Amino acid sequence: MESATVTVGHGHADHHHGPPEANQSSRIDRQTLGILLFIVSEVMLFGAFFASYFFLRVVVDPASWPPEPFELPKAVAGMNTAILISSSFTVHYALESIRRGNRTGLKLGLVATWLLGATFLFIQINEYVHLGFSARDFSFGSIFYCLTGLHGAHVFVGLMLLSFATIRAFRGHFGPAEKDHLGVEVPGIYWHFVDVMWIIVYVTVYIL
Amino acid sequence: MKINEAAVFKWVVIVGVAAAVIVAVTLLTRPLVGSLLGLAIVIAGGVYAYRWARERWR
Repeated sequence: MESATVTVGHGHADHHHGPPEANQSSRIDRQTLGILLFIVSEVMLFGAFFASYFFLRVVVDPASWPPEPFELPKAVAGMNTAILISSSFTVHYALESIRRGNRTGLKLGLVATWLLGATFLFIQINEYVHLGFSARDFSFGSIFYCLTGLHGAHVFVGLMLLSFATIRAFRGHFGPAEKDHLGVEVPGIYWHFVDVMWIIVYVTVYIL
Repeated sequence: MKINEAAVFKWVVIVGVAAAVIVAVTLLTRPLVGSLLGLAIVIAGGVYAYRWARERWR
């Protein structure tokens, strides 16, 4: 009995070096948990900007919002919102495709998502050029550019992540097994978050 | 419910539909009405999320 214990101990020492394996939840893999925790921190960042927006609008300068003669292009931004929402559908299509083993659908969905995201960013920059006010024009201009610019930066980061996923997809990476397409799943979750944040920014800044 | 991209996508659809309702009400009435509706939806969503989280992680 004693010798058996010694043998097992030796075998363990031979095969395992370094610290013990990290505990893995059965409910969520560590990559998905990581992006969800990151998104929680991002929600707090956006929350701070929204708090500033409502403070400026309701407490500091409630009389004229937006100040005369400025006007926000609701229709163009609405079209841009539709473009971004449709990109969530295409990234979902890409993931559903790879879950079924359809590589062509994965590539098509990722390329379509990237193009829709780039179109959104292009229209946003074009809107900045033609708005007629800058970040220096009243508190309204400052918070408008801060909120929409913060979101635009997130779209840019999302496009970078999607670029890596798309390149990997064209190089034959990813597979139907759950652990084999985390490289698309994680950017997909981030992209959905960017989409949801824009819906809230659009309704708050352009509509209400 | 497993937490993955499909679950998050469902929330995109829910938030999108709620936002569409708020936009429609705001454009048909006044921004104040839309703001109050938005606030009510956010509170209802918060209560639902709190109850869901309590049952999910029990």
